Amino acid sequence: MEPLTWTGPLGAYLDTITLALAAAFFVAVLAMIALNAAGATGRVVTNPDGTLSTSGSPYDLLASAVKWIGVALIGLVLAYFVVGVFGGPDAGGIVGALSQRMTPVWIALLLTFAISIGFKRKLGLYGKLFDSTVGMIGFALVMFWVFTGVFGALDMIITHDPLSQVSGMKNKVPGTPLSGAEEGDYQWYLLGGDNLARDVFSRVVKGAWVVVQIAPLATLFAFMVGITLGLPAGFYAGKLDTVLSFIANLILAFPVILLFYLLVTPEIVATGLPNYMAAVLFIFPLIFVGVLLNARYYTQPSIRTPLLLVVLGFLGWIYLSLISASGTKINILPASLDLFDIPGGILVVFVSVVFVNAPTVFRIVRGLALDIKTRDYVAAAQTRGEGPWYIMLWEILPNARGPLIVDFCLRIGYTTILLGTLGFFGLGLPPESPDWGTTINDGRRLLSIYPHAALVPALALLTLVLGLNLLADGLREESLKD
Amino acid sequence: MAKSDYDGPILEIDKLSISFFTRLREIPAVMDFSVTVQPGEAVGLVGESGCGKSTVALGVMQDLGKNGRIVGGTIKFKGRDLSEMSQEELRDIRGSEIAMIYQEPMASLNPAMKIGKQLMEVPMIHQGMGEKEAYDRALQVVTDVKLPDPKRILDAYPHQLSGGQQQRIVIAMALMSEPSLLILDEPTTALDVTVEAAVVELVKDLGKKYGTSMLFISHNLGLVLETCDRICVMYSGEAVERGSIQDVFNKMQHPYTQALFRSIPLPGADKNSRPLIAIPGNFPLPHERPQGCNFGPRCDYFEAGRCDHGDITMSPVAGDDRHHTRCLRFEEIDWDAPPAIGDAKERSEPGQVVLKMDNLKKYYEVAASALFGGGEKKVVKANETLSFEARESETLAIVGESGCGKSTFAKVLMGLETATDGTITLDNNSIEDIPIEARDTKTIADVQMVFQNPFDTLNPSMTVGRQIIRALEIFKVGKNERERHQRMLELLDLVKLPRAFADRMPRQLSGGQKQRVGIARAFAGDARIVVADEPVSALDVSVQAAVTDLLMEIQREQKTTLLFISHDLSIVRYLSDRVMVMYLGHVVELGSTDQVFAPPYHPYTEALLSAVPIADTSVEKKHIVLEGDIPSAMNPPPGCPFQTRCRWKSEVADGLCEKEVPPVRQVADGHQIKCHLSSEALDRMEAVIKLAAE
Repeated sequence: MEPLTWTGPLGAYLDTITLALAAAFFVAVLAMIALNAAGATGRVVTNPDGTLSTSGSPYDLLASAVKWIGVALIGLVLAYFVVGVFGGPDAGGIVGALSQRMTPVWIALLLTFAISIGFKRKLGLYGKLFDSTVGMIGFALVMFWVFTGVFGALDMIITHDPLSQVSGMKNKVPGTPLSGAEEGDYQWYLLGGDNLARDVFSRVVKGAWVVVQIAPLATLFAFMVGITLGLPAGFYAGKLDTVLSFIANLILAFPVILLFYLLVTPEIVATGLPNYMAAVLFIFPLIFVGVLLNARYYTQPSIRTPLLLVVLGFLGWIYLSLISASGTKINILPASLDLFDIPGGILVVFVSVVFVNAPTVFRIVRGLALDIKTRDYVAAAQTRGEGPWYIMLWEILPNARGPLIVDFCLRIGYTTILLGTLGFFGLGLPPESPDWGTTINDGRRLLSIYPHAALVPALALLTLVLGLNLLADGLREESLKD
Repeated sequence: MAKSDYDGPILEIDKLSISFFTRLREIPAVMDFSVTVQPGEAVGLVGESGCGKSTVALGVMQDLGKNGRIVGGTIKFKGRDLSEMSQEELRDIRGSEIAMIYQEPMASLNPAMKIGKQLMEVPMIHQGMGEKEAYDRALQVVTDVKLPDPKRILDAYPHQLSGGQQQRIVIAMALMSEPSLLILDEPTTALDVTVEAAVVELVKDLGKKYGTSMLFISHNLGLVLETCDRICVMYSGEAVERGSIQDVFNKMQHPYTQALFRSIPLPGADKNSRPLIAIPGNFPLPHERPQGCNFGPRCDYFEAGRCDHGDITMSPVAGDDRHHTRCLRFEEIDWDAPPAIGDAKERSEPGQVVLKMDNLKKYYEVAASALFGGGEKKVVKANETLSFEARESETLAIVGESGCGKSTFAKVLMGLETATDGTITLDNNSIEDIPIEARDTKTIADVQMVFQNPFDTLNPSMTVGRQIIRALEIFKVGKNERERHQRMLELLDLVKLPRAFADRMPRQLSGGQKQRVGIARAFAGDARIVVADEPVSALDVSVQAAVTDLLMEIQREQKTTLLFISHDLSIVRYLSDRVMVMYLGHVVELGSTDQVFAPPYHPYTEALLSAVPIADTSVEKKHIVLEGDIPSAMNPPPGCPFQTRCRWKSEVADGLCEKEVPPVRQVADGHQIKCHLSSEALDRMEAVIKLAAE
């Protein structure tokens, strides 16, 4: 087997054109910036029929040139991927092969976008996201990694087992053919091998699943804690607010990394501290949902009581399964009822991420509640005798959702980076875990000689966080237009 | 720029059209708008919100933002076309030749800069004046705008001044470079009535003194009558009528102008015999304007096939000076025909007393330092010895300016606060000590409230129907979801909203419609006492009448007691049976509407009556301008609360006003005044408002 080149036979035709176009694009953009700085922008003219047009100054010619070269460039890049999907490694080289492996992701992305754009006027804020280019790019990047994670977990994308080592593949560059390949094996390490001769591509895909699972869930828990404490702090103000804000500041002032180190120290784990913290932090979603439903339905006991019983019973079961694990300090639930055990490492990661993120969310929610509680509709709710929790959860919270959704997206990004940091320090997750932080840490030792092992997960982390930030930007922009 | 001698019109706007461009469409904000401002002339620009009057002002300043553009016509300032000037030339003109005064004074001042510095900047930048000269000039102008102790003011930061003082500073800043044209965009909307009167007075005097031309933008016809020489009425982006004040007010030639005048409460209007006539329908959205006449669908004189066909241009009215109207039929319409009056409504007789307040007091303790809780505690006396009764199906108006304690009173009545002292009796039960959590459902449902700000009164993330159903759930109305849904639909009928609105979100409703939903929600539990906190003051004039009428109608049907909190005396005179005037927590006057609106007055009532602008040229008003601002409730003056601003103080011997709070005196049956003035002095008072014709 020949080693694969990046673009394969297709590259022989297209690479020069692509490079030339990219250079032209770059030069044109530079020229545009120069002209703009010189103040030679064209004057916008209003036509009698109300339309606008610009006069034909050099700046405008350049602007349209940039536009068309940009379009051509995007078209070419797309061509590499499309040829790859159908031709595979034989036609498109490494890029083509990657693109072919990702086929389920492409299909899922296309379907998501087609359906969403088709019904965007009926989908509220989510639909409006498709009015904003920035938001759509961000959403596409995020969904790309979500789908990669999901299909990766279903073993649809990966080419090799992420944990198994193949002799002779140590630190091999991308596109190296598999040594000793048998019939039915995938013939290449598409993105090379790491220092333990494992397939980098498969590890990144598997790592996506770890990130996509933990980051949003941990952020969601942090939000539950922050909201459940922040709403009363802002609504009642006074002493409660002073105490809660003080505690929040205390946690924020504590060095995060030191906290993590403390939490994973065997002596601390042996005292059961992480388990107790989990027991406290994970009860907040229960309180939140319970209060939410009770406030809404307490006037109709016939609906309220069964609803609360079912929902709280189910959540309580999950909660107990979550915190109780055999061999730890908390082992209340009999094994036959225990739905699942969380590995100790993941629990620590979860607890620490929730613990450090909740105070920030608390402060945002508190500020929003302080502002919204002065509105007339809150006064109207008070004058008709609504309880404080109804007002907090049904009158204040829904109207604070704009900033909270934006912050949620940003915070998933932070959490992802935090997970990477934790993995990088070797905290929490097991050493062979394919998550991106651990992989970057593994790869950094030989960074100057074989950069690909660290670079690939780093790029993955970068694109996901970038996507989340763009998505937050798009959501903010669109929610302000309401 | 040297100020050239020029004696033509200061501002000529000719067939101006301004559009805003969004991603979806072009939105025409102003169309075919022409107006001329002569030197020394004050022109009023009147219209409802969204009619494009502020856009015209921004167009004159050439400050339309990124997506606004002048798509036709010209704006000439002293004969020069503003749209052909470069940015540098425009910068020279703005602030020096054309100055603008905005609605919100605090937003127009830089909070981090001392007043003196902000004022001195103007001549230093535009005329290159030296620092010393600029300071002298600033001192001179601050003295001109009648601010006390100008030197101290120049050394103060904006937040150290009251709203009225801030607006005077903004006016002073506009006058620093002696502009030829002053644009005032709702300059007094954020101020209290008595302060507004003083500021308007000031603007008028200064206009005369400096010979400045003014473009006065307002939604208040009365204010325009008091300040302007000429008026231009706008509707939906177009000027519909323009002419001199006398012509437009007395011989209006456009159906919209006429409808506008018929929908505002003028002296003589009465809720039973001569009710207001609301303009039917809604203001068209800019991209949904009808063909032909924009006012067509709401017009009484609409003629299909003619009014909805093609563009309509301004045509001059024969015999009048520069009086134009945008109406095809103005020569055919009999403008003097009296409006078709619906059936005169039966005057409802007040029933027995349902609510009684006796010596109600509400004090707040404010810690001097909030952080450590230590230090001296100050007491704010928000309500002081409030006593009155309210009867069934009676409208009691509570009148006063901001800080007079009317909102505190409402809070105590609703149970959001408990009283410090005194009693509130509702149907023989004392409720002053029962906070809202402890009140039973019946009491809560009986006392409900309608709020001031329509954009704030509904929860933006719940459908209209859901919000009303929630109120029904809380008030335990209806046995199941279906009954409550049915009742909710009936409530929508009650406030004359289509039933389809149940599934709408509040943002899809106009201000007036939201206020109607607010009323429906208040009546969900068959409320017997409704506190209406300025329910119409944030609405447009044409909508105000409709909402007021709705309230009156529901009151008549349900025999509700309405406590109508307002600062607008015209509407109070129109709809209330009895009036209570409050000042700094004290009830200074209480009596039937006729008694309060006729002498003898409490000196504060007198000033309040004089301050309210009335859009009727036949009304003669006595001119009383109060000095100074309302004292802070934290630090009330000793003795009579009103003594610091009272013009009758000298009539009372021994400085009694400064020593003792005056006793409540019965001057007639059911008419009480809290004043030291002798009966003779009270008898000498003249009526403030006189109808010249009658």
